[in-house]
Amino acid sequence: MTRFSRLTLPALILGATALTALPLAAQTTLTVARSVDADGLDPQKVSTTQSSQVTDLIFDTLVTLDASGVAHPGLAESWEISEDNLTYSFTLREGISCHDGSAFGPEDVVFTFERAVAPETMNPRRSQYGPIESVTSEGNVVKVRMTEPYGPFLSYLGSFSIPMICRSSVAADGNFTPVGTGPFTLVEWSRNDHITLKANDAYQGFSPLIENKGRPYIDELKLVVIPEAVARMAALRSGEVDLAEPSLEEAAILENEPGFKIYSADLSGQQVMAAFTWKLAPFDNPEVRRAIGMALDRDSYAMIAYEGLVSPTTCPAAPGLIGVDLEKCAAWGTSYDPDAARAIMEGLGYTPQNPLKIKLSVHALPGFDQMHQMMQQHLAEIGVEAELETREVAAFFDQMSQENLRTEGTPVLWTMGYSGVDSDYMTVMWQQPGFVNMGVGAELDTMLADQRMLTGDARVAKLQEVQQYLLENTYAVPLVSPGWNWLWASTDKVDGFRTGFVASIIFNDVKIAE
Amino acid sequence: MLTFVARRLLTAAITILVVVFLAGVLIHLVPGDPITAMLAQSGNASAADIARLTGQYGLDKPVWQQTLLYVSNVLQGDLGTTIRGNEPVAPLLLGRLPNTIILAVAGLGTALALGIPMGVIAAVNRGRAADFAVMLIAILGVSIPGFWMGLTFIQFFSLHLGWFPVAGTSARNIVLPALTLGIVHSALVARMTRSALIDILNEDYIRTARARGLREREVLMVHAMRPAMISVVTVVGLVFAHLLGGQVITENVFSWNGIGRLAIQAMLQRDYPLVQGFMVIFATSIVLVTTALDLLYGLLDPRVRRR
Repeated sequence: MTRFSRLTLPALILGATALTALPLAAQTTLTVARSVDADGLDPQKVSTTQSSQVTDLIFDTLVTLDASGVAHPGLAESWEISEDNLTYSFTLREGISCHDGSAFGPEDVVFTFERAVAPETMNPRRSQYGPIESVTSEGNVVKVRMTEPYGPFLSYLGSFSIPMICRSSVAADGNFTPVGTGPFTLVEWSRNDHITLKANDAYQGFSPLIENKGRPYIDELKLVVIPEAVARMAALRSGEVDLAEPSLEEAAILENEPGFKIYSADLSGQQVMAAFTWKLAPFDNPEVRRAIGMALDRDSYAMIAYEGLVSPTTCPAAPGLIGVDLEKCAAWGTSYDPDAARAIMEGLGYTPQNPLKIKLSVHALPGFDQMHQMMQQHLAEIGVEAELETREVAAFFDQMSQENLRTEGTPVLWTMGYSGVDSDYMTVMWQQPGFVNMGVGAELDTMLADQRMLTGDARVAKLQEVQQYLLENTYAVPLVSPGWNWLWASTDKVDGFRTGFVASIIFNDVKIAE
Repeated sequence: MLTFVARRLLTAAITILVVVFLAGVLIHLVPGDPITAMLAQSGNASAADIARLTGQYGLDKPVWQQTLLYVSNVLQGDLGTTIRGNEPVAPLLLGRLPNTIILAVAGLGTALALGIPMGVIAAVNRGRAADFAVMLIAILGVSIPGFWMGLTFIQFFSLHLGWFPVAGTSARNIVLPALTLGIVHSALVARMTRSALIDILNEDYIRTARARGLREREVLMVHAMRPAMISVVTVVGLVFAHLLGGQVITENVFSWNGIGRLAIQAMLQRDYPLVQGFMVIFATSIVLVTTALDLLYGLLDPRVRRR
């Protein structure tokens, strides 16, 4: 062996060793455990929050919403609304890329709308797109024309219900592969097991809810499915996942435990309310409904049943949404006053010895169970004996569809949680026939139809008129907000995670500490 | 033999056809409407949306029409598309069937590995403390709910010891669910082994073998175990069939991506085509396994063929 080779060989080995020892830029992966998987990744064919939580990461929206629900530019840098409120003209930003590298443009927007409203798409959210007559483009401007004014359009456009999909998402044979302009691109989906996403290097974000307007800080996002709450928490505690949906009980424990953080959605647009089968005597008497409303103590439900992780609420639409004024609602609706409630019921002949017998029909959700037991006790105090009936979700809504049509039989008090980005969801719920046939009557129908025709302050006033009507007649007793799928827990290594409207999950600002 | 095979195959085909029909009709007896259940979660489900989708999925047709259409489609190899996500049912279910079979085989293997030695120990120590102790363990195994045992294993082996991951579908993940299933089913194997072995150990030829001076180990392993295993093999088919359908809860606890987890979710969501597809594929698997066992018995025992 020559002197050269005797020296160079160790040098090469040393050099190679040194190179391998150099700290390479470590790939950061955030692993998130959810209880259920997405039903699909085609945003025009899914309806569950868990599905939209994922599609919202892949696709962006024409407009964005701030924490007050006000619309701001998104993929559209500006827009104009015609004087008759029928035509929306969106000027698109230039320089936006789809995940496959193609330029995002007006053709994609037109394609999105046309596909969304086409009957063969079977879009479960078709009605949120509104009464669209035509969608056309001229240069960089897309015009959406409605057959009649549609006030909530901008709110829905800013939500995960109406994301913009790139045309390349749909292959010639009709197969769908999610290609959007959002902060993450799809790497892999193993249904019911995991979804792997990677950061979109070319991302440009515009949402007022995010600080980092460029590529997400994390490189990879892995959404795993762990159905059992105990197993999810074990995975979080063992470090197998960084972020997880906790049970309500676990959230209350982790909140006071070092090393963990709890996130409770404050922009969820969600709430829980009680409603009546008001066609059935004596619930056809507004005084009886009012007495029951006064018997329900929303403060204690929030503090005890929900471990203080929700807030009491007073409006039929969720806090933060357009037209929602909690103080006004408090004046219009019922507040906890068991003495007054008892007096009303006694006047009608109902006492603890001769109680009004009703059913309390519910479906099981975290926090709901304990709240319902407390409701039973509160009702008993004013001479109402409530038999608790718990069903799983699908059977519950089926049952309530039938109960709300009945005009004879045992009256039912029932609870439900619901969510949205615009108070317009009161139209879906209360306009006849209404959600699970809970529609009220022609007077309210007209008010709900009118609010859709309006914009700005006039719409706010009309939405408040609707809420006043619902509360003064005690068709609804708002209880707490949020109340469904609104909790997250992470290790304290995770920083910058937040939730958006309707329990959307936002990772643009997330950093993971070493 | 040919007649026997033809008869068994015909029975299997008729059974599967009946299952397809039942899958088509029974789902409609379960309360809960799939479209309302789906749109209830969106928070903005209008009555018009519900009516439109109900019509598009053909759910507004009379049950008999829906059932006939379903049976006709299945006979043409079409299990339909899911209501949630609008995906073809067959690849969705068949893609997860291997995971379920792998876990069932692992569970069965564990049940045999635990149950047979337990049964042998109990049999050779009949009436003594060891017999009592083994049978007590076996009864405990079958009495403790699988989901509770699974969650306890996660707490101990995954969280405290850190030996296995909590959730997922991989080689490392299979240990805890297989152990859970194995312990639960080992009781049956142990009892069957014990009773078969006790019967055989009382046979004349065993006494003869002992009289010839063979060692007890040889008597047990060579002369007693082999015939005893025939009874155990009979149980294996039953346990395997039960594992294929009965591991739904275990799959859920350990996040094992099998057909059972998909079925649970589909049932809660009233995703009719997916639930029906599960019933058809699961029942077909059971029918095929039992038919294969029948044919095997027929091959091994000529008396079965003559029945």
